[in-house]
Amino acid sequence: MNENDRDDADELRNGAEAVTDGGTDRDVVEIPKTIELPRLLDFYELQNEATTEIVEFYDNLRDGQLTTTQCEECGELHFPPRIVCPECRSEDLEYVDLPHEGELFAFSTVRAGAPMGMEEEVPFVTGIVDLGPVKLSARIDDAEYDDLAIGDPVEMKIVEIDGPVDHERVFYRFEPQE
Amino acid sequence: MTRNVGIVGGGHTKWGVREASYKDLIQEAGKATFEDVPDVTPDDIEGLFVGSVQPERFAFQTHVAPMVAELLGVDVDSMIARTELACASGQAALRYAWLAIAAGQIDTALVLGVEKMNLPREYTAEAQTSMANVMDREFDGVNGFNAPPYFAMIAQRHMHEYDTTREQLAQVAAKNKTHAANNAFAHFQKEISVDDVYDSFELSPPLCLYDCSGVTDGAAGLILMSEEKAREVTDEAAWITGSGQTCLGSNSINNLPSMSAWPQATKAAEQAYEQAGIDDPVDELDVAEVHDCFSISEIVEYEDLGWVEKGEGGKFIEEGRSELDGDIAVNPRGGLLGCGHPLGATGVSQALEVFNQFRGTVEPERQVPDPETGLIHNLSGSASVHSVMTLARGRP
Repeated sequence: MNENDRDDADELRNGAEAVTDGGTDRDVVEIPKTIELPRLLDFYELQNEATTEIVEFYDNLRDGQLTTTQCEECGELHFPPRIVCPECRSEDLEYVDLPHEGELFAFSTVRAGAPMGMEEEVPFVTGIVDLGPVKLSARIDDAEYDDLAIGDPVEMKIVEIDGPVDHERVFYRFEPQE
Repeated sequence: MTRNVGIVGGGHTKWGVREASYKDLIQEAGKATFEDVPDVTPDDIEGLFVGSVQPERFAFQTHVAPMVAELLGVDVDSMIARTELACASGQAALRYAWLAIAAGQIDTALVLGVEKMNLPREYTAEAQTSMANVMDREFDGVNGFNAPPYFAMIAQRHMHEYDTTREQLAQVAAKNKTHAANNAFAHFQKEISVDDVYDSFELSPPLCLYDCSGVTDGAAGLILMSEEKAREVTDEAAWITGSGQTCLGSNSINNLPSMSAWPQATKAAEQAYEQAGIDDPVDELDVAEVHDCFSISEIVEYEDLGWVEKGEGGKFIEEGRSELDGDIAVNPRGGLLGCGHPLGATGVSQALEVFNQFRGTVEPERQVPDPETGLIHNLSGSASVHSVMTLARGRP
């Protein structure tokens, strides 16, 4: 399918005008030309009491500390944080601090084909950071793919998420250590 | 299992960027499937299993299995469902149809896999959003972990740990896309060289565009029957000899067992080999359709399906052992790299390919000489799940 075909297909798909052009007294049904991303499709989880039971994770992150849950019954350390221990089903979990520095375990970059809501950030580096107790995926900010290597030291930073939600949202990212 | 189950027929749509709707694709594949087995009609179908991953996003439609029943005129009197297992949804549908027949619940099932992935406008972000959500959206998808960067990291780790080379990745892509050039329904119809892979856009390094499967529209169908019923309609079938599936209780980055090995694939393959009585897969398998969503995937699969020692996958392609005339002809269909990957349809199409290889109905350029045994494999999502099925030309 070439570009012209695609334009033709667009025209067909948006065919309301073509139909009304040929009609004389047809009613026109107005639908929005664009539909805003629903709040749950912006990728960042809702982070308040009304929407999640791991709100303590997000509260800690807002306060500047990356944490996760550890089971007080069996000692299992989880990431992502849980409300029920997958090892022993205990709900007796405590939030423990995670290191804010780690090593780059793997990384790549997104140069095209980003998901909805991330297209304007392309190109960006994303990777896996080994913090010791856990490995987590993370955006790697302030870095070029070609300048990075497996094992590079990275440190956490916290970003504020400005999006279509009333409550304040934050998330963690990593950047190369100075 | 108590009863033998055979694939007795199947059909395919043309795959690609189709000027057709989700429902159009279903009808095309259904017609082709029933035309392949004239003695089976929609009235014979007792179970309908539909593999489809994201019709809610791509086609704005849910509850698709009964829609398939209506479009194909199938009165289902026993079981009907859609299976969603990301990239392995088609194989999952096939696995449950097999299980239902083998367990004696039904005698005849229709398996249909379908995905409409190309939308008229700005479709790439839509498709990639679905792919980014196969892991934990809150903690992985949020970081832009869609398929190309994720599998780029698998390639990076595999190259780091086992000295797999960029050239070996390109050899996989060149092999499979060249097979597809001889496959009438495949999305990509051009033979390519190793250099062409390097010359393609470096999308998510170390992976280039030609290391990646396409965003493809397509559908495929299969009819499965118990041995007793199959005898009434056909002399030829692909008999399902084994079927395994494994998930190690993990789906997100911190919990996956490895970024360079898929022990789930090893376990699923061992289950299938044991059921099929396969002791030496390299010696006993003639044709394999494995999940080459990215070139690196096929190399990891050579290893973790038990064909070579861990870390030796790159040599398996380099030495030509996966070519049509090699030890195992891998992805003669063209794979996901060459056929494209309409998610829910891929596993169904792979099984049909093995059957067509058995009965010698594929294009001569990609026909494997007299295959007797075959395998299909799909990983799904972050490769957290692996599904393996073995097939044989001769009745078990």
